[in-house]
Amino acid sequence: MLSINNLHASVEGKEILKGLSLEIKPGEVHAIMGPNGSGKSTLASVLAGKEDYEITDGEVLFHGKDLLDLAPEERAGEGLFLAFQYPVEIPGVSMTNFLRTAVNSVREYRGQEVLSGGDFLKLMREKQAIVELDANLTKRSVNEGFSGGEKKRAEIFQMAMLEPTLSILDETDSGLDIDALRIVSEAVNKLRSPERSWLVITHYQRLLDHIVPDFVHVLYKGKIVKSGGKELALELEEKGYDWLKELNPA
Amino acid sequence: MASTIDQHKASFLEALQTSAAEGSSARTQAREALETLEVPTRKWEDWKYTQVRDLLKASYTTSGLAVESTEGFLIPDLEGDVLVFVNGRFSPALSTFGSNGDNMHIAPMGHLSELLSGVVDTHLGELISDSNIFTATNTAYADQGVVIFVPNGKIAEHPIQIIHINHPGAEALASQHRNLFVVGKHAVAKVAETYFSIGEGTSFRNQVDELIVLDNGELEYVKIENESDQASIMGHTYGHLGRDSKIRMFTLTFSGELVRNNLHLKLAGENVNAQLNGVYLIDGSQHVDNYTKVDHAEPHCYSNELYKGIITGSATGVFSGYIHVWPDAQKTNAFQSNRNILLSDNANMYTKPQLEIYADDVKCSHGATTGRIDEGAIFYLRARGIPELEAQKMMIHAFTMETVESLSMEPVLAYIEEKITGRF
Ligand SMILES: Nc1ncnc2c1ncn2[C@@H]1O[C@H](COP(=O)(O)OP(=O)(O)OP(=O)(O)O)[C@@H](O)[C@H]1O
Ligand SMILES: [Mg+2]
Repeated sequence: MLSINNLHASVEGKEILKGLSLEIKPGEVHAIMGPNGSGKSTLASVLAGKEDYEITDGEVLFHGKDLLDLAPEERAGEGLFLAFQYPVEIPGVSMTNFLRTAVNSVREYRGQEVLSGGDFLKLMREKQAIVELDANLTKRSVNEGFSGGEKKRAEIFQMAMLEPTLSILDETDSGLDIDALRIVSEAVNKLRSPERSWLVITHYQRLLDHIVPDFVHVLYKGKIVKSGGKELALELEEKGYDWLKELNPA
Repeated sequence: MASTIDQHKASFLEALQTSAAEGSSARTQAREALETLEVPTRKWEDWKYTQVRDLLKASYTTSGLAVESTEGFLIPDLEGDVLVFVNGRFSPALSTFGSNGDNMHIAPMGHLSELLSGVVDTHLGELISDSNIFTATNTAYADQGVVIFVPNGKIAEHPIQIIHINHPGAEALASQHRNLFVVGKHAVAKVAETYFSIGEGTSFRNQVDELIVLDNGELEYVKIENESDQASIMGHTYGHLGRDSKIRMFTLTFSGELVRNNLHLKLAGENVNAQLNGVYLIDGSQHVDNYTKVDHAEPHCYSNELYKGIITGSATGVFSGYIHVWPDAQKTNAFQSNRNILLSDNANMYTKPQLEIYADDVKCSHGATTGRIDEGAIFYLRARGIPELEAQKMMIHAFTMETVESLSMEPVLAYIEEKITGRF
């Protein structure tokens, strides 16, 4: 489904991703861990299509298409979703209007019929229930004044609304209390299917207790330096990242 | 020997001269004043960013091509009077008015009742404290316009729609328009004035509005300038607000090669509430200058001014906000804000706040920002599947809608909303 091959990306002349390769098959959950500043969010942004990054080498195929050649909105239409580490606040744009436009845009892209007002509200109520999102939040402006945890929950709610095939969760667990973590994880697990995949970026094993990954990768200085099964996450939690320095001296 | 600019002035005046507007002493005085009034130059402080000389250069005609219908020019669902001016002239065939019955006296100039003629004789020119060549030309020669008088205690529920449609031919079209609205004590009136043009011909409109709102009266006045990029507008609006009165002004500008909207409100009684908002969405080589002046002459008044602009292409926006708080005007609350988004590298914005405060117990503030559209937000919307242009529309909508929240004419609000999101 997603095939990243020798990806190099820079920002302002500084290389952040330095030959990253990763293969995700339908139905798989991959976790990416790694120290601060190693390039995890950069990878997520590059995949979602943020224009600040220059791709200097490599390729990314998504469902067989050249992902890097698509506009961000086309990537979303193709089934890519990024739950942002820091979702932006957009005062003056109501959550409901935003979601209706988003859902209908991707539906149009996918050749599906645009939802009527009634059907949209029904869908919204249904997905809201999955993440136990306070209904009042959808009446407000996008993320405006949401607490850290509410923002993360709202991201998962959006994911549920847009029905992507590949979801990248960038530290969605950070800032969530135990209950919220459980709710968010359950929402993800409910959506799991043989067609849907996840790329979960996290610092903590506790998320991976709930969303059990098929593979765990360690990203360090713009490259995947180690991959393994779910037990690798436990090992990392125990050992920390100091061992990386010896493995791959700067 | 006359200078070139004097020659331009002379031919401009000649083009706009009419014989019909005889009568009042204001007109006679204005004619006399025109002999000495000069054309503003950029050396004049109030005209620093806007070159008006070229407006006088064209050789104008006052007639244009026919307009047969108002289709596409009416604000949907706005029920009330419709007064249509085609190429500056009142069109009885396209107009209907009188929906407010006894609650409002209204007529186009040239069709005034005895009562409305009396209103004109008493008030015309009364508010023009700083006569210039444009206002004087208007006072002297404008024989087209709308006169409204709402008697004390009358609520004129139905809005008045004044529609201007210019259809210039090969020659540049010049027109003048004069509004005089008098809203009595405890009376209410609502007016939406729209400007359109057909075709690509050049036009120039010189308009003056005088708004008198007596004690505890209320006026809502919306202007939507939506002509072609070959149209220029010189507008002067003066308001005189009595004790406990309310005014809500909103000016939306899309159009225009050169547009100057002067707005001068005098808060002349205690406890006046004045809202002056505006939005301009301009591109190409348009030049739009909003010049506002709020005179706080009495205590306990509130004025709030919010102008927002989206500027792209190599267009230029200008906002000048002058707040003058007189020595007696204690407990004044006067706020002013001008916020702009530039969508292109060549777009320009000049903002000039000017506060002169001679009372000590006042709350005044002003703020101005000019920046770029929030790229982070645009990316967020696009990452959710929303196409770039749609994302930009949503951001423009979000940015501007705050300015229209206080309008009470729902259909006008919806119309503005649609116009704004459809602009780029
Ligand atoms: N727009 C940018 N301009 C300059 N530097 C950037 C930009 N984006 C990322 N970087 C730099 O790239 C490096 C990787 O950042 P990134 O956000 O991808 O790290 P991360 O692995 O997500 O870290 P964290 O665990 O703290 O979230 C950092 O050194 C960061 O400062
Ligand atoms: Mg990060």
